[in-house]
Amino acid sequence: MRPTAIIVGRIAAATGATAAGVVMLLSLKPHDSADPALAAPDPGPSGIASAANAQNGTFQGRVVKTRYGPVQVEATVSNGKLTDVRALRMPNEDEKDREIAREAEPKLEKRALAAGDARIDAVSGATYTSKGYVLSLQSALDRAGG
Amino acid sequence: MMTTIQRVAVGHAARRAWRVPPSWPPAVIAVGAFLVVLMWWSSTPAVVGLDGLLTEAGRITGLLAGYGCAMLLALMARVPALERGAGSDRLARWHSMGGRYIVSLLVAHVLLIIWGYAVTANTDVFHETAAVVLDYPEMIKATAGFLLLLGVGIISARALRRRMRYETWHYLHFLTYVAIYLAFGHQLADGAQFAGATWARALWYTLYIGVAATLVWFRFLVPVRRALRHRLRVAAVRTEAPGVVSVYVTGRRLDELGAEPGQFFRWRFLAPGLWWAANPYSLSAPVRGDQLRITVKEAGDHSRALAHLRPGTRVWAEGPYGAFTGAARRRDRTLLLAGGVGITPLRALFETLPGDVVLVYLARGPRDLALRDELDAIAAERGARVHYFVDDPAGHALPLTRRALRGLIPDLPSRDVYLCGPPGMTAAALPALRRSGVPRRHIHHESFEF
Repeated sequence: MRPTAIIVGRIAAATGATAAGVVMLLSLKPHDSADPALAAPDPGPSGIASAANAQNGTFQGRVVKTRYGPVQVEATVSNGKLTDVRALRMPNEDEKDREIAREAEPKLEKRALAAGDARIDAVSGATYTSKGYVLSLQSALDRAGG
Repeated sequence: MMTTIQRVAVGHAARRAWRVPPSWPPAVIAVGAFLVVLMWWSSTPAVVGLDGLLTEAGRITGLLAGYGCAMLLALMARVPALERGAGSDRLARWHSMGGRYIVSLLVAHVLLIIWGYAVTANTDVFHETAAVVLDYPEMIKATAGFLLLLGVGIISARALRRRMRYETWHYLHFLTYVAIYLAFGHQLADGAQFAGATWARALWYTLYIGVAATLVWFRFLVPVRRALRHRLRVAAVRTEAPGVVSVYVTGRRLDELGAEPGQFFRWRFLAPGLWWAANPYSLSAPVRGDQLRITVKEAGDHSRALAHLRPGTRVWAEGPYGAFTGAARRRDRTLLLAGGVGITPLRALFETLPGDVVLVYLARGPRDLALRDELDAIAAERGARVHYFVDDPAGHALPLTRRALRGLIPDLPSRDVYLCGPPGMTAAALPALRRSGVPRRHIHHESFEF
């Protein structure tokens, strides 16, 4: 049986090499998101202005491509207020996506209606979907605002 | 029974047998690991934020662990080309070292994923653990699998393994199959690299199904088919020395086994108390007609029971395994260095290795020199030298030192050495042989310590 020193040395080398390898892989990737959905500017106060000056009617937001699939939202505005929000497209590639979408959609809808614009928090566990939702909703409100 | 000595030529089957060079398996595994990392690389556009860092690190470790588990199973699939080429003992060592590494990777994977998800969801790790285990698809099974694997890993640590019977440990170790089966589903259901990625999914299924098929084929179907084809039965049991017995096994079409001198089989004797274990014992003579012979020293319950085997008992022999054969030889002159029951494979090689062969046999006392009369007969017939050394009575021992070895065999540096004996003896012999001028690649030995 090999002496303890050699065994410990081997363990240290394996751990060190693995950790170094993982850190290297992570550091070689870009650290700002390349996903166009995430790179778009945050919906700011323009959200409120859009709804307030909005024409009445239902407007479709743009299709936002997220890493799990496309997201598209439709907003209904009447008398300057956001009265209804509906998701037209949510990620549904596989069961996991559908499950996340099922969980996230009602929460996002509730938050949007409560806020009256697109400045809402992401749903935990559905970061990318939430961001896509927000951007699509913002573009719908932009269209409503004319 | 064993009075006529034949210079048995290595049979057709053995000559044709393919061997995988020992450097191939690590190389193949490394290439596979690289491809797995590439799979991660090509599906990850960016690593954003602390949660991104943690989650992606968790994904890398998870992918490598999933791949690693398949490779660990493949190493133990008893593929003949691997067993013959790399050697059963080396495969077992790789498997055990790899196993420890994979278990550590898994622990890292679990911690990183939970922490990463917790940061994304803005909760603490305990809530996140509950959420991941209970809400995500296939995760309850995966958690069970992880805990099983961790448990098996812990009891496989040398300190704990020593405290239990080998058979108990061996059977508990089979739970790793269950663990891997349980954890497979979550890889495809939750793994970001597999979501909607047809190629990645196909690759993963191919990997696992391929390994599973290999396992079933070589560890189950082949032994069953062999048993039916060769119909091995115990013919006789003979005592060779105190605590050492030879078991003669007869069967049909033994030449098809392709067994080479120096190799071993895993023997399953279908007798009460013995049928559930398949233990490795080397052939102590070349395959002769319809007869195989093993010579076993009493070392535990199983080996002790062999002395009482009844003729006619059915036997399943899985193999042949082992790279400790004449094929490893690189020179025309050889030294066979045997310690105690290590004489077993060397007795077979002594009869068949061509060229100039010297046998040196170390034992505790004269009565422990099993198979001595056969060795003398072989030496006389082929004009080879055989030297016997015993520890007791004093004065007849061979110290395992450079001086003693060179004194006995002056041309030692120009010989290939086959070494077989108990761990203490081989541990002393190896450095002595090296110091005597024998290059490492000319020393062949099997060590089953892991």
